[in-house]
Amino acid sequence: MNRSNAAVDVGSSSSTEAVRVEGLTKVFPNGVRALSGIDLTVRQGEFLVIIGLSGSGKSTLLRCLNRLIDPSEGRAWIFGDEITATAGADLRAMRAEVAMIFQQFNLVKRHTVISNVLSGALGRSPLWSSLFLRFSEEEKAQAQAYLDRVGLGDRAGSRADALSGGQQQRVAIARALMQKPRLVLADEPVASLDPALRHSVMRHIEALNREEGMTVLCTLHDIDLIERYASRVVALRDGRLVYEGKPTSFDAVTFRQIYGEDAVMAGSATD
Amino acid sequence: MEISAELQRQQRSLWRHRMRQVQAFCIDLLLLTLMLLMVEFLVVAFSGRRGPTGLLVTPEEILDLLHYGWAVSGAAFLALLWGLGSNVLGTSPGRALVLGVPEREGHPPWTRTLRGWFIALMVELTVFTGWLITEVQLVTFLTQFSKATDIVRGLLHPSSSVLHQGLVLLVQTIFLAFMATAFAIPVAFCLSFLAARNLTRDTFLLRSAYTLVRAGMNFTRAVEPLVWALIFISWVGIGPFAGVLALWVHSVAALVKLYSEQIENIDHGPVDAITATGASHLQVLRYGVVPQVIPPFLSFTIYRWDINVRMSTIIGFVGGGGIGYILKPRVDLGQWGEVGTLVLLIAATVWCMDILSAKIRERIV
Ligand SMILES: Nc1ncnc2c1ncn2[C@@H]1O[C@H](COP(=O)(O)OP(=O)(O)O)[C@@H](O)[C@H]1O
Ligand SMILES: [Mg+2]
Repeated sequence: MNRSNAAVDVGSSSSTEAVRVEGLTKVFPNGVRALSGIDLTVRQGEFLVIIGLSGSGKSTLLRCLNRLIDPSEGRAWIFGDEITATAGADLRAMRAEVAMIFQQFNLVKRHTVISNVLSGALGRSPLWSSLFLRFSEEEKAQAQAYLDRVGLGDRAGSRADALSGGQQQRVAIARALMQKPRLVLADEPVASLDPALRHSVMRHIEALNREEGMTVLCTLHDIDLIERYASRVVALRDGRLVYEGKPTSFDAVTFRQIYGEDAVMAGSATD
Repeated sequence: MEISAELQRQQRSLWRHRMRQVQAFCIDLLLLTLMLLMVEFLVVAFSGRRGPTGLLVTPEEILDLLHYGWAVSGAAFLALLWGLGSNVLGTSPGRALVLGVPEREGHPPWTRTLRGWFIALMVELTVFTGWLITEVQLVTFLTQFSKATDIVRGLLHPSSSVLHQGLVLLVQTIFLAFMATAFAIPVAFCLSFLAARNLTRDTFLLRSAYTLVRAGMNFTRAVEPLVWALIFISWVGIGPFAGVLALWVHSVAALVKLYSEQIENIDHGPVDAITATGASHLQVLRYGVVPQVIPPFLSFTIYRWDINVRMSTIIGFVGGGGIGYILKPRVDLGQWGEVGTLVLLIAATVWCMDILSAKIRERIV
């Protein structure tokens, strides 16, 4: 498959770096060590897929990158700025550059579809008008355009929870588009969708990467999706990085190394 | 550095465990003290002892006679014994409540554990003691109904002389309850965010605000509306406004509790999603929290209005306006026909409010 990665040269300078993580460790207050000294660099334009068993620390890693979780130790840079050393308004400005897509979609269920898309712009909209759910005509037109793009233009006025799972995830993608981020964190974006719908959602995430030039970090379980969409794969096991390579070089041995001795390499690698 | 953090964590959890053991001991101590006191109470009550007046001792006099110091010391001894001998005696009630029952004890039926027998004994002791303390007199209750027939006859033959005034004051009652509720909404809404644990973890300032608001509201709620009414009557004078204020204060406290519990139960997904867009705290509240809590808030608020209508009749008894204001003198004078009219008016209103509020709440959630 032809990859359109912006930066494939190995000796890339820090200016082409989207994410850099050094010694990232998270110990939760209850003593669970979810991440242990993760070192990772992601270049701009990559579609990095993170795999690993349930509980291996994938969500924790992604959530440390936009500081939904504060890491216990280690540092993380997003486009050269250290997000682990940022707070307050600066942190919010950095978050605005990083969109997140969730397994459970996390839409505001009682709001309309278009209002959900507009909420992607909250990082840069004026406080008072946004508190009254008011957005500019320009932003509304933009939101409508993004909804058209994910094929839900005619559902703009529906309540979000009236949509099916796959449709809700596409609204979440439109919300991410509205945010105009440079980095997208997608945490198992298709895990709660019907297998038949997975490609339709993944293709939109792929478009964020290919057409918008956004860097994507995505956790996935299915082998066929990994091979189809990833430009690079890393694997976590018990909070440590245990594998890094091209999706095509995935064989039974590395597979067991990641998923444990009991794992069987079948069509999918769900836990 | 790693190791010291680990050590700190262990020390903290050890400290927490100690605190729980102390809690368990206190509960055991309380239960055993109560047991000893109730046993002594019953022994004295059935011993035929005579009080200072030469008659059989009354329950109040027995309460004065009890050996409280001895009971506490005895209970402390027993609680210690039970705590130390838990291998033989089984887990004590306090430990079972705070620390849980260890696996090795399995799940025997209650009749096979000391704890089970103890609790059964406590229930029985409480019923017997309660019977004596509240001076239950079954025979009188069953044989002397005729003394109350006057009242019942009056209630069944409502007099129309007070109907007009009653209706006017009924309108006042409903508005009184409505205004108290309406004033309570904005205050309770704002305070409830500070009273929700899940939104107040981040900074020291928020944590202090949480503790402060919680404590203040618990206190306010613990004071009866009737007492608030007395306070406000001396503040703003007799009349419906004092009633509004009394019900307002109490409603704020009650609504903050209900609202904040709803906030604590929200789905955190949307909060995460809105936070991730770079939104500010207020925007996260507006988009991530408020839409989830609006329907239950509305439902609680209507329910509160309903409760306030009931409460405002009692508030009127002490001069807080509303229909209770003209009910009280008629009760005192024994004008049962007029009392009957007013009671029927109140009952009809409460009944309508009840149905209406149930219907609306059904629609909302
Ligand atoms: N808020 C939390 N508090 C305590 N432990 C947590 C919390 N979130 C996650 N964990 C634990 O951290 C580990 C990694 O979780 P997670 O990052 O969600 O894994 P994954 O996304 O790979 O399934 C798991 O053992 C999980 O139980
Ligand atoms: Mg996860």
